[in-house]
Amino acid sequence: MSVAGIIGAPAPVGNLVVSLLDILYYPDPLLRRNASQVKNVDGEVAKLVDNMLETMYDAPGIGLAATQVNVHQRVVVIDVSEENNTPLIFINPIITSSEGVAEMQEGCLSIPGVYESVKRPADVRIEAIDREGNPFEMDADGLLAVCIQHEIDHLDGKLFVDYLSILKRNRIRKRMEKWIRDGADLDDLPERPERH
Amino acid sequence: MTQKIADSATNLRYQCLQLMLRLQSNSGSLTRLLPEAQLRVAEGEQAQLQAWSFGWCRWAHQLEGLVDQLLDKPLKAKDKDVYLLMQLGVFQLMHTPTASHAAVDETVKVVKRLKKPWARGLVNAVLRNYQRQLESLQSGLVETGLHSHPQWLISQFQRDWPDQWEAICAANNLQAPMCLRVNQQRGSLEDYQQRLSADGMSATTLPQLPWALVLDAPVPVSRLPGFEAGDVSVQDGAAQSAAQMLAKHVPKGSRLLDACAAPGGKTAYAAESGWYSQMSAIDFDETRLSSVASALKRLALESVVEVLHGDASQPDAWWDGNNFDAILLDAPCSGTGVIRRHPDIKLLRRDTDIATLAQTQAELLDALWQTLNPGGVLLYATCSILKAENEHQVDAFIKRTDDACALEGARQIFPGEQSMDGFFYAALQKRNA
Repeated sequence: MSVAGIIGAPAPVGNLVVSLLDILYYPDPLLRRNASQVKNVDGEVAKLVDNMLETMYDAPGIGLAATQVNVHQRVVVIDVSEENNTPLIFINPIITSSEGVAEMQEGCLSIPGVYESVKRPADVRIEAIDREGNPFEMDADGLLAVCIQHEIDHLDGKLFVDYLSILKRNRIRKRMEKWIRDGADLDDLPERPERH
Repeated sequence: MTQKIADSATNLRYQCLQLMLRLQSNSGSLTRLLPEAQLRVAEGEQAQLQAWSFGWCRWAHQLEGLVDQLLDKPLKAKDKDVYLLMQLGVFQLMHTPTASHAAVDETVKVVKRLKKPWARGLVNAVLRNYQRQLESLQSGLVETGLHSHPQWLISQFQRDWPDQWEAICAANNLQAPMCLRVNQQRGSLEDYQQRLSADGMSATTLPQLPWALVLDAPVPVSRLPGFEAGDVSVQDGAAQSAAQMLAKHVPKGSRLLDACAAPGGKTAYAAESGWYSQMSAIDFDETRLSSVASALKRLALESVVEVLHGDASQPDAWWDGNNFDAILLDAPCSGTGVIRRHPDIKLLRRDTDIATLAQTQAELLDALWQTLNPGGVLLYATCSILKAENEHQVDAFIKRTDDACALEGARQIFPGEQSMDGFFYAALQKRNA
C-alpha cells in the first residue's frame, strides 16, 4: 500500500545522518521478544529514534516499535497527523488507565497488506519519557490511542493478529510465509481476504 | 502500525474499469450505471469518473484497434478486464491531461486489485510500447478503429449517407454543447442572455429557433439563473425545432397528445408556448414519466398537462375516445443521432435492434393514427439518423395508410449541424374524409 507522494515529504529529523532500518516480518520469532527498559536516554537512543522515524515515514506507517526493527528496547515512535509533521516519541511507555471500547481496522508494518478489525479500550492515559529524558503524561483517544496500544503490544512481543481467531491468524501466517518465500516484494503484498 | 488508506488514484481506475466491464456485458446504460459507480470513488473524483467513462465509450473502438496491434495474441475471454485496463491506460495517454508516467504507473497498479499480478508486466509493456510506437499504430488503424464506431453502424451510415458518413462519425465523437430553452412565458431571449452574461456565461442563439441558446461552456444546471424557478430548461435545438414545427401545422387551441413523452422536454415546450388548449403526455416507463411531472412542476405548468401512464401503441387502455388535433410521436429509436451525448450507444446497440425498433415505430404510428382527428397532424420524430427508422418508415406508413399525407418541411438533421443533435421529423396530415 504505497501512499508516498499523497501524504507528502517525511518530517525533518534534524541534521543527523539517518538510515532506514530493516523491518521484521511476521511470523519472525524475534517479534515475540520482550523489550527491556531504556536506562539512559543518550545519543544512542536519539539516533535510534531518528532512524525509526525515518523508517516509519518511508514505509509509510503511522507508528513503529523498536522491536519491529530488531532493537529490543522500549522505544516507540508515532505520527498520526494528516501532514506527517507531528512525530511523537515514547520511551518506556506504560498505560496507566484505560476506558471504554472502540473497534478499528489495524494494519502493521510487520504484517504488510493485512488489515483487520480489533477491539481495544477507546481512551488511554500514558506515561513515558521523551527524547530529552523528561517524563510526561498524555491522554489519548481515537487513532492515537489505538496506535499507542498497538505499539506497546509490540514491546511485549504481542501482535494485533493475536486478537483474531486462531483460524484467521493461521491463514494470515500462511499467506505471510508464502509472501516471504516469494521474495517479500512490497509491491506484491499478500492480498487481504475478500469480505462480503 | 499502518492504516488502510484506499489509494484513490488506483481506486478511480479500478472503478472505471468495473464500469467498463459492466457496459461491455450490456448490463445497462451509462446513464443508469454511472451514478452507482460514482458512489464508490472519492467525491473529488466523481467528475473524472464521468469524463473517463464517457471518453472511453467514445473511443472504445479506436482503443481496441490500438491495443490489438500491441498484443502478440488476443487475451483469453476471462482476461477481458486486463484487456479493458490496457484500453483505459491508452485512453489516459491519448485523451486526458494525466502525466504519462502517472497514467502508466497507476493503471499498472490496478492488476493487483484484479488479483492478476501476472499481467503487471504485460500491461506495462503495452502502455510503454504505445508511447513509443504512437505514429505507426495510428496508421495501422482500420475503418472501425479509425472512426471509432462498430463496423455494423459504419456500414449502415455508409449505405444511408454515402457522402456524409465520415462527417457523421467525426461529429459523433465530439462532445455535445449544452443547449437551453428559455421559458417564453417569463421574458425574452435577450433578457435571459443578459442574465447569463451577468453571471459570466456567454451563449449564442441558433437560427430559426426563437427560444434556444447554446452555452459556450457547459455548467451544472444549478448555476443557470432562475433554473429552479423555471425560467429556463436544458433542451437540444433539434427537439425545439420539432416542437415548433408541429405548432406551425395546427391551429391555436388544438388538443395535443405527446406520445412517448418522457423526459418531457417537448411537452414542456408545448406547454410554455400556450398554443394548445388541452395537452396530454403519455409514457410507458413510470420512472421516466415522473421526470415529466417534475419538469412541469418546476415550470409551474403541471396543471395544464394531463400526465398518463400507458403504452402509446395500445390506445384502448388509456384513450377517452376524443380525437386529438395534434400528436407528437418522438418514437423509441436507435439513438444514432445522439451518440455524441450518449457514446455508450455504440457499445450497447446491436444491428439486430434496428429492425425491432422499426417494427415498434410502425406499430406506434398505426395505433396513434386512430386517435387523430381528420385534418389533424401527427409529427413523427426520432433522434436517429438511419433511414430505416426515418424516411423509409414514413414512406411505408403513407403507402399503407389511405388517409395519410406528408406535409412540407420533413427534415433530417445531422449531428453537429448548427450545434444540434442528429434528429428526424416529418409532419403527417390526416385527410378529411
